[in-house]
Amino acid sequence: MIQKISIKNNDFTLHPSGAIFWEIKKMLLITDVHLGKVVHFRKHGAPVPANAAYKNLEKLTEVTNHFEPDTVCFLGDLFHSKLNEEWQDFEKWVAYCKAEVILITGNHDVIPRYLYEDIGVKVFDELLLDGFHLTHHPTEIKGTFNFSGHIHPGIRMKGIGRQFLKLPCFYKTENQLILPAFGNFTGKHILTPSETDEIFAIVEGEVICVSKKIKN
Amino acid sequence: MKQSELISIAEDWFQSKNWKSFPFQQKTWKGFLDGKHGLLNAPTGSGKTYALWVPIVLQYLKENPKYKTKHTKGLKAIWITPLRALSVEIQQAAQRFADDLGTGLTVGIRTGDTSQSERTKQKRQMPDLLITTPESLMLLLASKGYNKTFETLTAVVVDEWHELLGSKRGVQMELALSRLKTVSPKLRIWGISATIGNLEEAQDVLLGIGSEFRKNSVLIKSAEKKRIEVRSIIPKKMETFPWRGHLGLHLLEEIVPIIKASKTTLIFTNTRGQCEIWFQKILEKHPEFAGEIAMHHGSIGKETRLWVEQAIRNESLTAVVATSSLDLGVDFAPVETIIQIGGPKGIAKFLQRAGRSNHRPGEPSVIYFLPTHALELVEASALKRAVKENVVEDRIPYLLSFDVLIQYLVTLAISNGFFPKEIFPEIKSTFCFHGITEEQWNWCLNFITLGSQSLNAYDEYKKVEVTEEGLFKVQSRQIAMMHRLSIGTIVSDSMMLVKYVSGGFIGTIEEWFVSKMKPGDTFVFAGRTLELVRLRQMVAQVRKSNKRSAKVVSFMGGRLPLSSQMSKILREELQSEADHKRNTPELKALSPIFDRQERESIVPGENEFLIETFKTREGYHTLFYPFEGRFVHEAMSSLLAYRISLLSPITFSLAYNDYGFELLSDQFLDIQNVIDNNLFSSEFLFDDLQKSLNATELARRKFRDIAVISGMVFQGYPNKVVKTKHLQSNSQLLFDVFRDYEPDNLLYLQAYRETFEHQLEEGRLRLALERINSQKIIWKQCEKATPFSFPIITDRLREKLSSEKLADRIKKMTLQLMK
Repeated sequence: MIQKISIKNNDFTLHPSGAIFWEIKKMLLITDVHLGKVVHFRKHGAPVPANAAYKNLEKLTEVTNHFEPDTVCFLGDLFHSKLNEEWQDFEKWVAYCKAEVILITGNHDVIPRYLYEDIGVKVFDELLLDGFHLTHHPTEIKGTFNFSGHIHPGIRMKGIGRQFLKLPCFYKTENQLILPAFGNFTGKHILTPSETDEIFAIVEGEVICVSKKIKN
Repeated sequence: MKQSELISIAEDWFQSKNWKSFPFQQKTWKGFLDGKHGLLNAPTGSGKTYALWVPIVLQYLKENPKYKTKHTKGLKAIWITPLRALSVEIQQAAQRFADDLGTGLTVGIRTGDTSQSERTKQKRQMPDLLITTPESLMLLLASKGYNKTFETLTAVVVDEWHELLGSKRGVQMELALSRLKTVSPKLRIWGISATIGNLEEAQDVLLGIGSEFRKNSVLIKSAEKKRIEVRSIIPKKMETFPWRGHLGLHLLEEIVPIIKASKTTLIFTNTRGQCEIWFQKILEKHPEFAGEIAMHHGSIGKETRLWVEQAIRNESLTAVVATSSLDLGVDFAPVETIIQIGGPKGIAKFLQRAGRSNHRPGEPSVIYFLPTHALELVEASALKRAVKENVVEDRIPYLLSFDVLIQYLVTLAISNGFFPKEIFPEIKSTFCFHGITEEQWNWCLNFITLGSQSLNAYDEYKKVEVTEEGLFKVQSRQIAMMHRLSIGTIVSDSMMLVKYVSGGFIGTIEEWFVSKMKPGDTFVFAGRTLELVRLRQMVAQVRKSNKRSAKVVSFMGGRLPLSSQMSKILREELQSEADHKRNTPELKALSPIFDRQERESIVPGENEFLIETFKTREGYHTLFYPFEGRFVHEAMSSLLAYRISLLSPITFSLAYNDYGFELLSDQFLDIQNVIDNNLFSSEFLFDDLQKSLNATELARRKFRDIAVISGMVFQGYPNKVVKTKHLQSNSQLLFDVFRDYEPDNLLYLQAYRETFEHQLEEGRLRLALERINSQKIIWKQCEKATPFSFPIITDRLREKLSSEKLADRIKKMTLQLMK
């Protein structure tokens, strides 16, 4: 199940992969894929299963095939580390992908700009599009609505009988939406929402709005 | 020299000290000189050091008749001790004998505390006897040319073997010995163990099953037995004594006269947090003790600990509040009295503590038991019987601990390197790995060289490399250094140093505790009230504070379960209660509580299994009372919750203590349904346990240690600001990745195996279920919480289990909001 929301009269679809589809722009927003992290760890002697690396690109392919966007915009931390062999796979994916690929740089993106540009990926520090501000770090500018990543947001749910559950989520405040990390070898950072925040949790392939459950 | 001549040298020395050798010492001397290996069963402070150090020296005299004029260099013996703190005492005792005989033999220490310059000196010239820990021994195997160092070795003595046996440090020891058996041709292996239920198995583990070493070995038991007298501190007013709790401060005043009446008293608590609180409260209520009482636990700075230990010997302290950090070691002569606060959960631990008091010949050691809540008095009553009937627990050795094996293989790869076909037979000769298959062995080799099982075309995985000759070797200096820093099998939470702003080290506390505080907050640690000034990397800088603070430093873990031997005796005590034979002072004192339990419900008899249900605003409570200890209850609760959840969608939150467990739900639970469906069956036990969500959560926790020990997670450089953040991952994340992409990984599977064998105690669980099946189930629908249920339903550490769809559960849940 997907979740549709409207911000400033624009329609957005929240997908359980962690991606957001901007309907009118036909733009797919994705953050914190952390490609290359698995290989980076292995290179330093930590035996993370190698096939975990392929899953990220498979997941990217699935979600782009699903939405058929004109543009795929990564909101930073696309690559976890310096250049390693996952780059070649990414290069193949960019060639395969019909959409235009954009990267807003994040703190982990240390791979030089020209290498991206060589394979046809446009690189920006930030983007301002029709009053929407796309960044890696959550940023507030008056009069704009901000989409960002970096945080890897998660929330903690509480039930009767002292049950607890931690879930990744889309975290929306009045002028801001933080996307969950897309990559599979990434953790989450648990946030405690205030009453006005809207939270869309990802649960077993569904996106569920959990913030309406807030008790006053 | 003949054996009889050698032994008379030792006897003469004993006489010169006005001592008399014990028969067990003579037997050990003879066994050793006859070339045997063995296990010596002798309690602390009984002269066990001389039982083994004497023949090591005598053997040297035999081989070097001109010992008075010519000293033959090279390492002769290694003495392994699990606690660094013990090494000094052993060194003094050993050196005294070596000097008095004019042997010229030297005794050195090498532990984590040994300075770098001392280590370098040792590397050039080893002492004749080296006192060390299992971890430091491994580090010696990690240095180049270790085979030369150990060539001259004639003996390894593993002291306090019972302490190592049931842990992965024991496995580490087994592996080190397997290597020494090859590189030290003249080696004799001896262990020293306190009394445990499975001494023969302990001997198998030490020497290797079916090996030549095992065949040529002896088990020597010292006949000396300490008499122990247990006295319970019984509350004067049972009506106001709490039903739950774990601190026991209500009875603080009761111990004051005991402390005052005795020269030195050791007060044992079960956790470091409890230790801090007791120390604080005693001083608060009785300021006259200031300067006369001290505190001792594993997180206090070493200097302070040594000072306290010395002060006990000097008789300058009236009382010391301690944790298990004072369980082991040499006797403190001035200690006259022991007080145990809260149930020690195991008989062996209780006896060990009781034995810490020195007693006059012919008089028993006295230990006071202070209950922290009412039902613990039953434990006191049970302990008394256990002591009378000589019941002791087994120590269960680990099997197929691949994480320790992988660490060991990398250790060998960073020093000399190894050839698998040479090492495999050694590994297979250990108790831990005698069941290892060829496939599992190859898996481990692949793991350290390829990082997986399939050869990947362009993979850059680097750890151990294979040379053209087939030698497994680590080439990277960085990997070698990271590995050296990670050697060991004790995984603790991330620790922070606590220091004064002006310098001066106080101790270490767990990172999570500090992370909840802001600068300016105060907390109590090491008996002082401290104000957090700032955090600098892994150092919490503090200053003394005059503010009163209720926040006492606390530590994770530390809750031990009731042992199976204790559980059995405890059940019997309760059952005797059910039959209205309140025949011990403890049970008599509990009368009002038992009466109330009988009014609301029942006290189950020998053939009865009690289930209670009632409703509060928290939901529907269902309580079960197997009295089997918290680990078994943990397993049984999740098993039962899982089986019930198969009948209809339901979500439970589980709680348990040593007496029973609770299933709490937002729906009513019909117990008749549980009985009719035969849900206590021991059939399909393994399967059902595996499917209960709980097993995954527990395995996830076990995996944390496995990931660190096997080197998958690097914990960073000690006290250094090296940026390793880009390489930090947590074991939780790794666990999920393995589950999704490599579920046949042996280390991932090991987490489950350890969960079943060591955490859920599957074997014990099965027996418990069989017992319940033979009992009559009594279902009491109560009006309100009963005395038995109270400590359980108020427990805040909980697990959950659900058969409802996650999405449906979420719909019933609420978001945790900012306060």
